Amino acid sequence: MGLLSIIRKIKRKEKEMRILMVGLDNSGKTTIVLKINGEDTSVISPTLGFNIKTLTYQKYTLNIWDVGGQKTIRSYWRNYFEETDGLVWVVDSSDLRRLDDCKMELDNLLKEERLSGSSLLILANKQDIKGALTPEEIAKVLNLEAMDKTRHWNIVGCSAYTGEGLLEGFDWLVQDIASRIYVLD
Amino acid sequence: MLERLSNREQIRLDNSLARRSDSDSHSNLPSSSTTFLSRFSDSKRSIESRIDLSRIDHPTDPSQVRSLLDNISASISDLEKLVAESSYLLPSYEVRSSLKTISDLKQALETLNSELIPRKKFTFKNKAAKKDPTAEPNETTPENPESVSTKHGNLSFPVRDSPGFRNRKGDILVKNFKGSDIGEFTVSDLDSCEVRLTGSVRALFIHRLSNCKVYAGPVTGSVLIDEADGCVFVMASHQIRIHNAKGCDFYLRVRSRPIIEDTSGVRFAPYCLNYEGVEEDLKGASLDEETGNWANVDDFRWLRAVQSPNWSVLPENERFEVVNISTLGGGTDGN
Repeated sequence: MGLLSIIRKIKRKEKEMRILMVGLDNSGKTTIVLKINGEDTSVISPTLGFNIKTLTYQKYTLNIWDVGGQKTIRSYWRNYFEETDGLVWVVDSSDLRRLDDCKMELDNLLKEERLSGSSLLILANKQDIKGALTPEEIAKVLNLEAMDKTRHWNIVGCSAYTGEGLLEGFDWLVQDIASRIYVLD
Repeated sequence: MLERLSNREQIRLDNSLARRSDSDSHSNLPSSSTTFLSRFSDSKRSIESRIDLSRIDHPTDPSQVRSLLDNISASISDLEKLVAESSYLLPSYEVRSSLKTISDLKQALETLNSELIPRKKFTFKNKAAKKDPTAEPNETTPENPESVSTKHGNLSFPVRDSPGFRNRKGDILVKNFKGSDIGEFTVSDLDSCEVRLTGSVRALFIHRLSNCKVYAGPVTGSVLIDEADGCVFVMASHQIRIHNAKGCDFYLRVRSRPIIEDTSGVRFAPYCLNYEGVEEDLKGASLDEETGNWANVDDFRWLRAVQSPNWSVLPENERFEVVNISTLGGGTDGN
């Protein structure tokens, strides 16, 4: 995020936040967004392209960009980096085989300069599935402790299926963004 | 569910009110831009001198170095917060220059960090150093019995195996999920096997199969298939993703649109599995009705309006009518 846009936001007090949801395919990004918005999650096709959802959360307006995670379209993620306030990295905690893919893609993403100022929420999704790794284990696998000192990050276990953990995660994210960008009134 | 969400909403509101009054009583926000500027420059000087001092004289124990750096980083965050809180009373020039100062401080801390603990910071260096030609993510060594654990060789944490069938050739593998507490199941590195899965499971992962037949009861979450050659799949699921498959036939019932990626020569037909209790299992998984989605395939490698050349509908006269795995012979419970 550029300096000018931060100032513009302070001036206008528009209370908008731009959130980018990314992660490997099958991690549950679309389900999470729909669940938070109180929509039906029983029929969701893999995302071909992206979805934008605008929703009111606390006193903020969140513009959530849910971008498809299939390998073919991961290269398009970068088109959505500009002006991102919050980054949500979604992990399928039951997909043990692709954890190294997951780590590699996250490492790549965090090297991106345009995302360097954004808060990072890692959602260890699918905690309701027996055999899923815990958020602590996911944190170790992704080696989150080695993250850049200046990055604001948090990892939260969740289940988009039951809704557990989603609000905790987004509460943290929204508060963290608010404390960086907006006047606390 | 809705009730619970709204309860949480209420609790959240209460909490945030509590937090707010908390911060009102405890923090003494600067009341004018001059007090802000003097506080800001004090903290700035203190942080700068701590960074400079640490450069000359720092503890030798890496964990102490780390906590020293964490401390400085926390001070910078506090300063950043002060700017955010005071921004409403500052002229835009001051906001801009304060933010610039903060970003310079962060930069200085980063530099210090890389001077004191250079290896820790660059995770990709770590990775490159450990890189082992046998542990490449894209290796194809289906005969390697340890493939699942070696594939995680460049992760910092040993990962356990999920339940599943692995590394078999020419076997009939049978598993009934009814009454088991298995959540996700893996079928990988099989050659010329027949896999019969009955009952329902939350997630199914399929990896590196050749010349296999896989018959599965309902999957209430998703199926992920990666690398399959010359196989037949009969499965019902809420979501199905197919990667790197060639020359396979899929008999599917899906609640959403199945997708293929990097796949060619695959054909699709409706689900045709039968075993004792299949209707009940399908109903329990909300998969008892035909959705017609077996023919609504999205090809992520063919984003055009015309039909993808990579998949087709399996001609009716070439389809199985019904596969009844209750009456098929043979098979051992491989688990």
